[in-house]
Parts: sequence; structure tokens; C-alpha cells
Amino acid sequence: MTTARDAILAAVRAARPAATPLPDVRAAAAAFVHPDGDVSHRFAEVARAGGAHVVEGARVDVARLVREAYPDAARIVSMLRDVAGTAPMPADPHTLADTELFVCEGVLGVAENGAIWLPQSRLGERAALWLATHVAVVLHRASIVPHMHAAYEAIDVSVEPFGAFVAGPSKTADIEQSLVVGAHGPKGLTVVLVSD
Amino acid sequence: MTKRAFELPVLHEPHRADGAVDHAKAAARFTADEARTDWHDGALWWVRAKRDLAAASLDEWEALRELASSIKEHTLSRLDEYLVEFEAAATRNGVTVHWARDADEHNRIVHGILAERGATRLVKSKSMLTEECGLNPYLQARGIEVIDTDLGERIVQLRGEAPSHIVLPAIHLKKEEVGDTFHDHLGTPAGLADPTALTQAAREHLRAKFLAADAALTGVNFAIAETGGLVVCTNEGNADLGMALAPVHVASLGIEKLIPRASDLGVFLRLLTRSATGQPVTVYSSHVHRPRAGQALHVVLVDNGRSTQLAREGFWRSLKCIRCGACMNTCPIYRRSGGHSYGSTVPGPIGSVLTPGLDLERYASLPFASTLCGSCTAVCPVKIDLDAQLYRWRQLVTAAGHASTGKAIAMRGAGLVLARPWLVRALGAAARGAMRVVPRRVMRVAAGAWGRARDLPPAPPQSFRAWYRANRSDRS
Repeated sequence: MTTARDAILAAVRAARPAATPLPDVRAAAAAFVHPDGDVSHRFAEVARAGGAHVVEGARVDVARLVREAYPDAARIVSMLRDVAGTAPMPADPHTLADTELFVCEGVLGVAENGAIWLPQSRLGERAALWLATHVAVVLHRASIVPHMHAAYEAIDVSVEPFGAFVAGPSKTADIEQSLVVGAHGPKGLTVVLVSD
Repeated sequence: MTKRAFELPVLHEPHRADGAVDHAKAAARFTADEARTDWHDGALWWVRAKRDLAAASLDEWEALRELASSIKEHTLSRLDEYLVEFEAAATRNGVTVHWARDADEHNRIVHGILAERGATRLVKSKSMLTEECGLNPYLQARGIEVIDTDLGERIVQLRGEAPSHIVLPAIHLKKEEVGDTFHDHLGTPAGLADPTALTQAAREHLRAKFLAADAALTGVNFAIAETGGLVVCTNEGNADLGMALAPVHVASLGIEKLIPRASDLGVFLRLLTRSATGQPVTVYSSHVHRPRAGQALHVVLVDNGRSTQLAREGFWRSLKCIRCGACMNTCPIYRRSGGHSYGSTVPGPIGSVLTPGLDLERYASLPFASTLCGSCTAVCPVKIDLDAQLYRWRQLVTAAGHASTGKAIAMRGAGLVLARPWLVRALGAAARGAMRVVPRRVMRVAAGAWGRARDLPPAPPQSFRAWYRANRSDRS
């Protein structure tokens, strides 16, 4: 008896249209002309348009910047050594449900869409990114790239079990196209844009 | 290269047992409420306008469309090789890969995974594939609670409806209707219709479901052959909450979703959401390569008619679709007839190209739900020749004898007349004369369906042929 796998592969093989070449995305992207100006400025502008708060400062002040953004947060889980949390990352992600603030640090930012790459190693239990009421993401200015092609050049998505580009707080417009922030995930997201 | 002739479709959608879809009749029911039709039309046109702004913001937009189209065509041209590459990489990553020839096999596999672990509470994120397969009723009949967690999908699920759009599942509903639904099912106060308050109520209701779930099922936007990875895009974060909490994650994946390399995602993620909603990217673009510690990760690769569509010269390019919904938002027929009028899982131009391949007789009316204006083709981020494919389906529907009787008679009549110039001239003269003397309401009846909502223009004094002879014949 043929397996489903063999049957599907045979059907696909028999159906293949004439071969066409795979384009060289890297070469094509290198020819794209991008807007002039500071990419971190553009990143901040696009991130704000996507609903994120953006605060800026020095890396050494990051604890203060986070506290100023969320002065009332009582239950904080932090992945940063220099930002104190009130609770450790738990073994069972379900217990993160009452987290008020989750603090983590992005690997890189993308100027064209305000997204930040957050792989598993920067998240601990990744559920924190969606269960916490608010999320603060620290991002170094020097890590911002102009567009998604450059982002995929800079990262290897397959080295970690999980990674996400995150652009702003969760949102929905499923009821009459009215934008509502805080769909299932965080109700607010602050990008702490730092330089040395 | 020679391509096989059109093969009669053999697949069934097991959950759809009723008769043929009559799009025109269903659309007439929708447009009977003129105010709602205008509102629906306007809401979708607004999304289309946002897409235009986003597309115009990138100088390289057309280059990206060309790249996306080429990558997809290349992938489809050696899809069997990429499927094998994906399977090998995913297996190395600790993912269990399953293969399903059709909807039934897919449903059985998913149920088997859940049953083996004793899972009875499933949270789902948006997956048009599982809609296509009728997975929800299949699992519910076997004692599994299935919760659609995308807000729009949850709304239509509570109402016992199907999504009316692939990206905006509840676009056909007014906030007051959502309020009534939530009042009945979630206990919100009667009359509450504020979108923010309703979303908050759904958030609390669904948060409890996420925390209690013992399995999560997601669709897949892109599957990377070289790395065995899955990419899932949402704005709400519902897919992520499911995947990040449940001990089992099942991903249902249509075989056409493969792309060769991770770097190809740069092209597709730049196009997808700009085309869908006008956002520069979805809030969450999640890349899954390995299960969480202690979690099981299953991928079900589903054919269900895709290899048959791939074999159809003239139609295989429809498999390039990345499900952005732009063709629906721009379509003058979709905007004014609503997604439910198509009676198929995927409505709009792309649905009218994909669905007749599943059951030509049942969906014979869909290729005619178009003006062939080509706006869908113009906005498609992967350059599918949608209007040309709709036109091709019309030929096949008619050749197979599935065109409506009225249309068949009219077409035969037109063929007879247009092949005889003397008859065209005689009937033209008769019609011009009649239009001057016969009352307008009678002429409108004579104009058939076209005249029902339109006024006939005043009759011209002469035929074009006579006018041309008098004015232009010396110049030819």
C-alpha cells in the first residue's frame, strides 16, 4: 500500500510545471534605494506609528528608563541583569499570567517596519511576551538595520527553537475595523532605545 | 511542454453536503439591504486604500512582487524536492511530520494526535486550511472542545457562521451584532457595542481558554524548506499564546506554503501585511523551529486538491497565493456581495479560482462572480493572473454544461447573431427603433438582468457602422 507521503510526492512530481530559476534575493535587495537619514530615527517613527511607546537614553540608565515608563508595575519579570524583576522566570509558563511587566532585550530592530527580533534566548519562557500586561524591550541603536532583507542577513532564524519579529503591542481591528490595542497579548509595549 | 487536459475534480468537502452555490442569488439577498451593502463596500475599500499607501511607500514594490512571484513559481516547479527537504530538516529539529492526501485524512491525523495525549481542549488560531477541511465539526463530534481564538473567528464561531473574509473574518458584522452575540455567549451587558469593551471581554474569555488548553493548533503562513521552520503571522498574538502554553502544538500546513530559504522571508514579509491591511508588518511574525522543552510539535502537510491544481495548465499559478486578501478588498463584486455569497471557504477572486477545482459543478457560478476588471490581478503581491484564470474557468464551466440555462441560451443566441453581420445590423436597427417607441420599463425587462438596476441609455440616431461610413470612411 502506498503511503500518503509517497502518493502526494508522486502526484506533485507528475504535476510539476516547467522549471524556472530561483531569483537571487540578496543581489536584488542590494539594488534597492532606501530613504536617507538616520535608521534609528526612522525606526522610532515607524514603531510609534505601530502603537509602541519609544523612550531614548543611555544604556547605563536602562533601569531608570524602564521604571519611569512603568512606575506602578508591581509584578515584574526581567531577562536583564541590570533591570531588577520582582519574580524569577518560572518553570511553568502558565504562572506568568499575572505578570504586569516583562522586560527583555532585542537583538536587532528593523527601520522600515519598527519590528524587533526576539529569539528564545532573550525571552526565557516565550509565553512571557504575550501573557504580561506590558512589555518593555531594550534595543541598542547600533543594532538597527534598514529593512527585512538586512535583518535576515544578520540573523540565523534556525539556531534557536523560536524567534519572533515583534512590532508594537498586540492589536485587533476585527470589530468594524476599529483599532483596539491589547487583543490577547500585551496592552502596551515600550521600546527603550539606548546608546552607549 | 504539453499539459494534460482539464481533469474533472474528484475531491469533496465532506462538511458541505448541500447543493450548488448560486452566487448571484446569494448576492441579491446581501444587496437587498442597501445601507449595509454600502457600508461593507466602504469598509473594504478603506482597507484597499491603506494597502495602496503602504505599497506606494516602497520604491521597490514592483520589484518585490516580481521576486515573490518568481520564488513561488520556482518552488512550485520543484515542490516535491522542497517538501522532502522540509520534512528532513523539520524531523532533524524534533518535529513530527505527517502527510494527508485529503481533508478526511488531515482530520483523522489531528484527532489521532489529540486522542493519543488525551487532549480535549484545543485552542486554534486562524487557519483557512482547517476551515477547508471541516476540522472543527469533526473534532467536536468526537468530544473535543475547539475554540477559535482570533477575535473575528471567535465572533463568527459563536454565531455559528463561517468567516466571510480570510483576513477579516467578521467584516460583514456590525458592532451591535457582535455586542448581541457577546451578550448571549459571554454575558456582556445588553446593548454594549463599544469595540474596545467587547475586545476586552473577549480577551478575558479567551485568556482563560489559553491557560486551560491542552493542545494548540495553528495555520502556517510560510514553511522554510532549508531549515524546516514554520512562520506564523498574527496581530493579536493568539497563535503565540497557544503555542507558548499548550503541551502539544499541531501546525496544519498546505503543501503550497513552502519557500526555499529563510532569506526569502524578507520578500514575503515585506509584501504580506502591506497588501493585507496596509501595516508595514504584522505585530508578531513568529518563527518556530523546534518544540519547547517538554512540548510535542506536529506538522500535518496537506494536499487536498493542491497537486491536482498544480497539474492544471492555466491554473497552477493560483497556488502562489499567500492569503493576504487584497484581491477581496479591491473586488467590486466581493465588496458588494459579501464573503458568504461565495459559499466557499476562500471567497473573492482567489476563492473563485481555487474552489471550482474542488467541485466544478457545485462552484460553477463562482467564476462568473467577477466583472473581469482585473483589479485583483493588479494588487496581487505574487502576481497571480486572477482575471485570466476566472475567464478560463468560465470556458470550462460552460463546456462541462454547468452554466445556468439562461446564460447558456443567451450565449448561444449571441453566438448565432454575432456570426452573421446582416443579422447584427437588422437587430440593431430594430432595437434602436424599439427604444424610441417602447416604454422604458418594458425595454428594461428586455435588457434582462442587466436592466434590473440600470437605465438604458437614449437610443443613438444611427449605428456605429453608419456613423463611421459617413464620417471616417475616406480616411481608412
